Amino acid sequence: MALEGTFEDMSLVDLFQIFRTGNKSGVLLVVGDTEQGVIYVYQGCLIDAVLVQGSERKVTQIGEEAVLCLLRWEDASFTFRHDLAVKDRPVRIQHDSEWLSLEALRRRDRPLRLLAHQQITLDTQLSLAALPATAQGGVNLNLDQWRILSQIAISQNLHDISAQTGMAPEVAIRTVTELVAVGLVDVAPPPVRPARLIRLPVPTHQPPMVPALAGMRALTGMAAADVGEVSAGRGLLHAIMRKIRRL
Amino acid sequence: MQAIKIVVTGAYAAGKTSFIRAVSEIDMVSTEYDVTNPDELAIKTETTVALDFGMIAINDESTLYLFGTPGQSRFDFMWEILSLGCIGYVVLVDSCRPAHLNETAALMAAFATHTSAPFIVAANKQDDPTALPVSYIRKRLHVPYDVPVVPCIGNDRESVKSVLLSLLAHIEQSFSSG
Repeated sequence: MALEGTFEDMSLVDLFQIFRTGNKSGVLLVVGDTEQGVIYVYQGCLIDAVLVQGSERKVTQIGEEAVLCLLRWEDASFTFRHDLAVKDRPVRIQHDSEWLSLEALRRRDRPLRLLAHQQITLDTQLSLAALPATAQGGVNLNLDQWRILSQIAISQNLHDISAQTGMAPEVAIRTVTELVAVGLVDVAPPPVRPARLIRLPVPTHQPPMVPALAGMRALTGMAAADVGEVSAGRGLLHAIMRKIRRL
Repeated sequence: MQAIKIVVTGAYAAGKTSFIRAVSEIDMVSTEYDVTNPDELAIKTETTVALDFGMIAINDESTLYLFGTPGQSRFDFMWEILSLGCIGYVVLVDSCRPAHLNETAALMAAFATHTSAPFIVAANKQDDPTALPVSYIRKRLHVPYDVPVVPCIGNDRESVKSVLLSLLAHIEQSFSSG
């Protein structure tokens, strides 16, 4: 029972958000090319971390510095295992994960690389990320980041934000990229889809004796062009619901 | 006899076979074969190569059929056939494998080209304490606000019933607004 993946699938900042919002406890093992990191999480908070190198597992960083190193990694695999025994571990991390993510961003000497699902364009719709009540208040943002944040709730997309703030589009995109990367802003889901009329197909064949074949016949029967359609009755849907409840 | 079809789809090893098996009234017709691909073998030892099929008799006149799509991409051609005539579908996603999210997003986009039937997303393996929360899965899959994303435990009958009831309620809502 574990959450497993790579930083291609999910960033470390995303993992920290999951830990926080889900109040998770356990051990996160991060495996890079030559180094390995371990982060201990208790009730959603990062409490300790260790970075080790080589086969002799020499400790190179501990605590917040270990987390800040791991936040710079772009290619690694991870496994998070639930483990309540972490509560007995000494706490060597004082800041929360938002602060650490922003600090890692400040120390960064290369442009940020977002994952595929986080790609930002001027048409991207944004929303403020939900932060838990336990998040610290002392998050330091620069002026551009504040200007973007102030417009998110009242603007349709990044194009509007750029126009409202007078910020050049490339600066707006870069700033939003930073805010998304540290988990303060989310890419909003698409709006509600237009409603559709649901129809039920009526197969023209008789039900065969063997249930398995009935399904196959239904499948092929429904695919045939001569199958008519009628509007689904609310009564039929309710009958299905009643049957499922009784199962 | 009226045949009503619901499709259960999802990426490789999302738990589709278990989902259908949990509620089917017949011994489920499944086409499981040993996995031979080394990458896939790391995830599970048997896989569905054609389709899973389950059945629930509603009354003397109507039967609900549950069809599970094969998860392997080389069987994608089956999706169009399976989606024809379905009243709705469930997109199942493994909450403990973030790699599934990108695959599932692509699958949802592809499936939407075959059918405009209503669908819901079921976040499977929510009994695992490390599972990604439903809200994160909604965010990552960019699920529209009007489409339910519900928790699921694919091998638990009550949980699967709850997912199917959510889908049916969503279908009814779509029907009403249509």
